[in-house]
Amino acid sequence: MGSLFGDWPSFDPHNFSHFRPSDPSNTSKMTPTTYHPTHSRTLPPPDQVITTEAKNILIRNFYRRTEEKLRPKRSASELLNPDHGSKQPRASASVTDLSD
Amino acid sequence: MFRSSNVAARVFERQIRTPPPGTSVHSAREFYENLVPSHTIYDIECPDHFFRKFTDDGQFLISFSRNQQELIVYRPRWLSFSCREEDCNHDLPPKARRFDSFFTQQSCVSLASSNELIFKDFFLYMESNQFGIFTSTTPPIHDAPAFEGAIPGVPLVEKITFYLIRLENGDILDKKVFHNDFVNLSHNMGVFLYDNLLAIVSLRFQTIHILQIRESGNLVDVRAIGLFCREDDELFLNSNAQRIHSLKKKFFFHFQDYVDLIIWKVQFLDRHHLLIKFGSVDGWLSRNADHHPAFFAVYNMETTEIVAFYQNSSEELYQFFEQFCDHFHVASGTPLYMRFISSQSNNIHALEQLKSIKAKANSFPQFVKKMLGSVAYTCQSQSPSPYFDQSLFRFDEKLISATDRNRLSTDHPIKFITRRRPCTLKFKIKPGPEAGNADTRTKRISFLFHPFLPLALSIQQTPYLQPSVNIHFRR
Repeated sequence: MGSLFGDWPSFDPHNFSHFRPSDPSNTSKMTPTTYHPTHSRTLPPPDQVITTEAKNILIRNFYRRTEEKLRPKRSASELLNPDHGSKQPRASASVTDLSD
Repeated sequence: MFRSSNVAARVFERQIRTPPPGTSVHSAREFYENLVPSHTIYDIECPDHFFRKFTDDGQFLISFSRNQQELIVYRPRWLSFSCREEDCNHDLPPKARRFDSFFTQQSCVSLASSNELIFKDFFLYMESNQFGIFTSTTPPIHDAPAFEGAIPGVPLVEKITFYLIRLENGDILDKKVFHNDFVNLSHNMGVFLYDNLLAIVSLRFQTIHILQIRESGNLVDVRAIGLFCREDDELFLNSNAQRIHSLKKKFFFHFQDYVDLIIWKVQFLDRHHLLIKFGSVDGWLSRNADHHPAFFAVYNMETTEIVAFYQNSSEELYQFFEQFCDHFHVASGTPLYMRFISSQSNNIHALEQLKSIKAKANSFPQFVKKMLGSVAYTCQSQSPSPYFDQSLFRFDEKLISATDRNRLSTDHPIKFITRRRPCTLKFKIKPGPEAGNADTRTKRISFLFHPFLPLALSIQQTPYLQPSVNIHFRR
């Protein structure tokens, strides 16, 4: 039969006997399965722009650690006053020992 | 899976098999296990020059005349010869012993005149344009009085000239002169080249000069950063991010230490950020940083903010150094093959070696201080030669390493053994005469490895004598 595989050797000549090569005149009944999301929780925000971070990982870490050291002072003061509406950062009243 | 180490088998493998993603350089480098500089010609006849370095792209060999007033640039080439006999298995011809069989002179430029001398330990290369940066200085004056805002104790040099030279033809493109100043030129330590930005630390005036090297060959001043070491409150206001609260307690106790800090060394972390190393004047003069505290600041040149500030005992800074070592070393414009110099962040053997030093250390804080002693990095101080790749070869790092330093000479050949099983000895580098040294005077050796050819020079210096140069290559 006019197989795609032609006269290629095969262990068993009955292999691929059911194979019918795709014929342009036959429309294929196979459509690939498509998947649709059932929710929209994971959609990116419509204005999202993905760019490369300009700072390399080392410099990013330097900035991040510095910011982390600033943050505990603010969050500690917020914990003390959970109803405090305003978000003004307050320097902590107590002197905390910062490790390097 | 068994993989043959036979070179023909490897070439065939390369034809039929794609290497794992992202490992093209590593796969290509495996051929360096097969092509090694195993043949040595001892004491070749060469001109009496100071041979400094191969440029990192392998195009040139930089050397200086014995009187330190001329720069001589050579092009490496390969020894070739022909013979008429059918069975050509005899020794190399006599011309193999000559330097000019391996190198052709490309250019010769006179840089220094009268009482100036070229500083032979200083050389920086800008690969994109094949520009070389050299310096010449007048003799230093020690115990110079501190005037015009200079730091006392730092020596004075009347004239330091930086030259920008096109190596292909020896044209001097531009110069930058510093008067009555001091820059630590030894092994490039006081200067850092990042892409086309040059940072020069004036130790005497405590200023970091940033220059840009234009394509046209001009050296252009970009900015000068003077951190006021005596006006220390300004320094700490900028770094209020971390230190203010803890320093309220410690501030007055340690104030004197901070007031006396001077800039020791600088490196670029990227185009906008500098890593500045501070220490005391005494610590810099004594050259033994172990007993003197040192500090590091990450400085953003655009916002003029100090982003982070650490002491040299900081475990956090050490963690960054262990994990992100390569980010201290590499400039963004660096070509691909320069990014494969073995370090603890990119090589498991280097990391294991570091961990074993850590395990043997008496105390972790001492270990941290010792490791952070090598931060800030000195640019272009390591050879990119694959023979120093820790994944390919094992060798005694006390005798030879990628770092560009001269060492005490040893009569024993230095062995390079493959990491891959079976761990065989592939080649040996033996500096000095073949029969060993007759006299027992202290000698120093330096190694110049070509960045990608199986070619290396080992130079043994005896005081007051012409150095003995051996050439190691693949025959």
